[in-house]
Amino acid sequence: MKLSSILLLYRLRLRTRIVQELFAVAGIAVGVALLFASQIASTSLDGSVQQLTKGIVGNMRFQLAGRSPDGFDQRMLGEVQSLPGVQAAEPVLEVRANVLGPQGQRSVNLIGTDPHFASLAGPLLHHFTATQLARQQAFALPAPIAQSMGLLSLSPVDLQIGGRIVASFLGAELLRSDIGPLVDSPVAIAPLSYAQKLAGLRGRVSRIFVKPIAGHDAEVHEGLARLAAGTLDVRPANFDATLFSQAAGPANQSALLFSAISAMVGFLFAFNAILLTVPQRRLLVEDLQLDGYPRRTIVAVLLLDGLILGGVAALVGLALGDLLSLALFRQNPDYLLSAFAVGSQRIVTWQSVALAVTGGLLAACVGVLAPLRKDIFSPLSLGHAPERTGYGGTTRALLGGLACLAVTTIILLLMPQAAIVGILSLVVALLLLLPALLDGVVLVFDRLQRPVKGAAPYLATLELRSQPARARSLAIAATGAIAVLGSVAIQGARANLQHGLDNATRDLNSIADIWVSPADPADLFATTPFHQSALVALRRIPGVQALRFYRGGFLDFGDRRIWVLGPPSEAVQPIPRSQLVSGNLTLATSRIRQGGWAVVSQSIADEHHLRVGDVFTLPSPRPTTLRVAGLSTNVGWSPGAIIVNAQDFARAWGSGAVSAYNIVLAPGVSPAVVSREVQQALGPHSGLTAETTLHRETRHREASRQGLERLTQIATLVLIAAILAMAAAMGAMIWQRRARLADMKVDGFSRAVLWRALLVESALLLGAGCSIGAVFGIYGQLLLSHALATVTGFPVVFSIGAFVAVGSFVVVTAVAVAIVAIPGYLAARVRPALSLQD
Amino acid sequence: MLELHEIVKHYRIGESEPVHAVDGVSLKVRKGELVALYGPSGSGKSTLLLLIAALLRPDSGSIVLDGHEISALSDQKAARYRLRELGFVRQTLNLTPGVSAVDNAALKLMGMGVRAREAREQVTPLMDTLGLEDRLHHRSDQLSMGERQRVMIARALSTDPKLVLADEPTGSLDSRRGQEVLELLAGVCRQRELTVVLVTHDPQAASYADRVLTLRDGQLRDDEPEPRLVSVDAS
Repeated sequence: MKLSSILLLYRLRLRTRIVQELFAVAGIAVGVALLFASQIASTSLDGSVQQLTKGIVGNMRFQLAGRSPDGFDQRMLGEVQSLPGVQAAEPVLEVRANVLGPQGQRSVNLIGTDPHFASLAGPLLHHFTATQLARQQAFALPAPIAQSMGLLSLSPVDLQIGGRIVASFLGAELLRSDIGPLVDSPVAIAPLSYAQKLAGLRGRVSRIFVKPIAGHDAEVHEGLARLAAGTLDVRPANFDATLFSQAAGPANQSALLFSAISAMVGFLFAFNAILLTVPQRRLLVEDLQLDGYPRRTIVAVLLLDGLILGGVAALVGLALGDLLSLALFRQNPDYLLSAFAVGSQRIVTWQSVALAVTGGLLAACVGVLAPLRKDIFSPLSLGHAPERTGYGGTTRALLGGLACLAVTTIILLLMPQAAIVGILSLVVALLLLLPALLDGVVLVFDRLQRPVKGAAPYLATLELRSQPARARSLAIAATGAIAVLGSVAIQGARANLQHGLDNATRDLNSIADIWVSPADPADLFATTPFHQSALVALRRIPGVQALRFYRGGFLDFGDRRIWVLGPPSEAVQPIPRSQLVSGNLTLATSRIRQGGWAVVSQSIADEHHLRVGDVFTLPSPRPTTLRVAGLSTNVGWSPGAIIVNAQDFARAWGSGAVSAYNIVLAPGVSPAVVSREVQQALGPHSGLTAETTLHRETRHREASRQGLERLTQIATLVLIAAILAMAAAMGAMIWQRRARLADMKVDGFSRAVLWRALLVESALLLGAGCSIGAVFGIYGQLLLSHALATVTGFPVVFSIGAFVAVGSFVVVTAVAVAIVAIPGYLAARVRPALSLQD
Repeated sequence: MLELHEIVKHYRIGESEPVHAVDGVSLKVRKGELVALYGPSGSGKSTLLLLIAALLRPDSGSIVLDGHEISALSDQKAARYRLRELGFVRQTLNLTPGVSAVDNAALKLMGMGVRAREAREQVTPLMDTLGLEDRLHHRSDQLSMGERQRVMIARALSTDPKLVLADEPTGSLDSRRGQEVLELLAGVCRQRELTVVLVTHDPQAASYADRVLTLRDGQLRDDEPEPRLVSVDAS
């Protein structure tokens, strides 16, 4: 058969099944949209940091990086330039700055570089070459950021850097035509000398990017390592992207997992719809067989159905996904802003598009071909084929399901790092065991309803035991089961993680009654150093019992940007008690107070093969040897954390700067009242802010919730998609049964009885699917929580998410049944005479 | 037992002239009698059956079954009437697919509030009589067309109805199976003294009736010759 004939045949057939086809398009489009949107969110997160890194480093190969926020001596540049094999070197100072505009504030990465070298660097700094910024003593901001704060070019603006507020001048707004997509990055650019002046770091740089002469990489690397002398780092120029990728890994993995679950729900949605057209396609296959067409022609005809369906659905899905990523997934996790300059750009890669389109096409082709495989490959049955008896391979399915469940259990117990594989095997187990479980539920219901008088429950079980509708019933139940499984597993794990993070937040903040730290909202972890001031005034405030110094910072340790906490030795509990996973709390606390000891996150300890009592060297600005006093969770920072006392921190950083004042109040004194007095004492021009522990804890909790919000959003979308899919499929199934309903009306069954029967059937099918999914979801929650705790070392409080499970199951079932009630009611109103029409 | 008096039912399709589907039909059917309404397609016989089943309301006239007027029943009462008083055997074999024969046959009893086990027990002797004793637990797809029709008859008769309406009950069957089914239906109904109104355009089917009434253009025609009857052993 020619392609044109196949197309004509398609067009003619389409007229009779346009509604079902649109329904299938909607199903696949939902799956494609969710997959595409979460892909965009994920690639945008990683991509924004990669773009910024590339925008700064250009084609530089190496960097000599300082380990402290103070950087290192700029004179090192001369030594780097004089290394043999170096073609070019670019000095950069990077400081976190909070831009205070008339209509808001924004935390940015202030990048200072020498205009003479800028032409060698990436596109972000090219703009520098001809600007008058160097002469103006001003900085430049991407236009969208400037506009969001109501800032205009050539206007004065205050910057809060560390504990100071400095007056500056916005010299230029950088447009998309200047810096391309980096216009969405949170950066400010200034001449190096001006940036140094603003930051109070004259003669200091954070990094020197180096471009070797071709073929001299090894030689230059060796020279740089010699210059670094163990106090600086020699890294690839784009190393920040690697660090970020590690930090954002858990967030991206969970989004990826949800994408896969979303795609499965979308596919089942579509599969439900495609099943509606199976009888028509079966007749077509028989017609073609009767007319003597070879099998390949029949497959080609069906494949074209799938390709057109998948193609249209993929296009709709891409458009929907794009909208979804704009409307819902735009916001990046705030907590990552503390250590990385994450931009708000949306990055759509061809890989994301290809993945979504391929998924859509594949789902459509499988959906069209799979139900007809027996018709295509078996002899002609001329419509008299025996009704499908459902699962011929019930035993095989059961054994396969149990095997998959065993795989999940093995992963849970022995290989939690393979949690995603574990969840996928759990989903496969669910799909394989679902028929038997559904039969079990129907059987139990059948037994329970027997003593009950009334036809509705009986009619409902009769329909559910009906074999020909089994594929459709299973597809509907599977849709709900997978959606609820995914939702319960991830929402439950999220709740466990949230609980653990809340505990960590409480313990970390409870070492003081009032915290004084830089006002930059991005300084969530108290990692920005400032020089001590106003101490006398603060100590004199009535009610202040003690004022202690807290130090903290980020440090690149291997491939991780870790969080180093330096609580004061005098703190009641310098080690957050809920976070210690190995070691004795009392002993570890006394050792931390004593100095020379550290509590190390389990994930870091595993990577460096450290146990309690072992000695290791912290690669701080002044490398410091410490012993492991205990092992902890990652305290909420995915790359991990190390806790030392504040004095050890100062020694390791070679600086007396602090990151926060910890104020302890006398008993009975109101923290809120003293907090206001502390703020007054700091003065209006201080870059510091005072907040009570409660306030700070609330801010931290909001940030951690915001960081996990995307998971909640995707879970909600998956549940909505599942509700719509199940309701639509169930509605369609009921609608197609009108002739039989009419028959029953002829037999005297009233409309009310039939409607009740349809509702009972819907509730039973949807409820069974969703409840089975909820039970599997609890297992999935256990798996994910265990993986979060053991692999990434997150503080996780294990609990069974019964509330989430029951909530998801009840809400999905109730809403879907409520929707189905409408087509059910209309179908039950069918004219009995329909039964007598031939 | 069943009495129709001057029944009129007209249809109007769009702006066209009304179609006189049933035009002044009066008839009486005695208890235990098997009456065939015979006529060509479009003669109004199925409409008459729908009227007797209270699935349609006549424009005028009355239908009385055992002294009860049924032509103006509410939907709910009409459903109750069909459930308790009526058995309906039809051409389409809409058994619930994949469900056993006995469960399909017991369906109507369930509608009357009989518990599932009791309903199955009640319907089993009837199914034995209809020759389905070996097929009770076979699914509908494992039954022949004739057996499916017998299950439908069992369902219709399961509630011991006062009146059995049969609308072209052999329409889906070949002549041999049709004959078998009609013999069974007529036999069982006579045995139970059930009143039957059989609608057919098949003279062979009509021959099983005690009385054949010919319908044409919505009216009973006494002047029409009876269809050629075939000798039947109704025992």
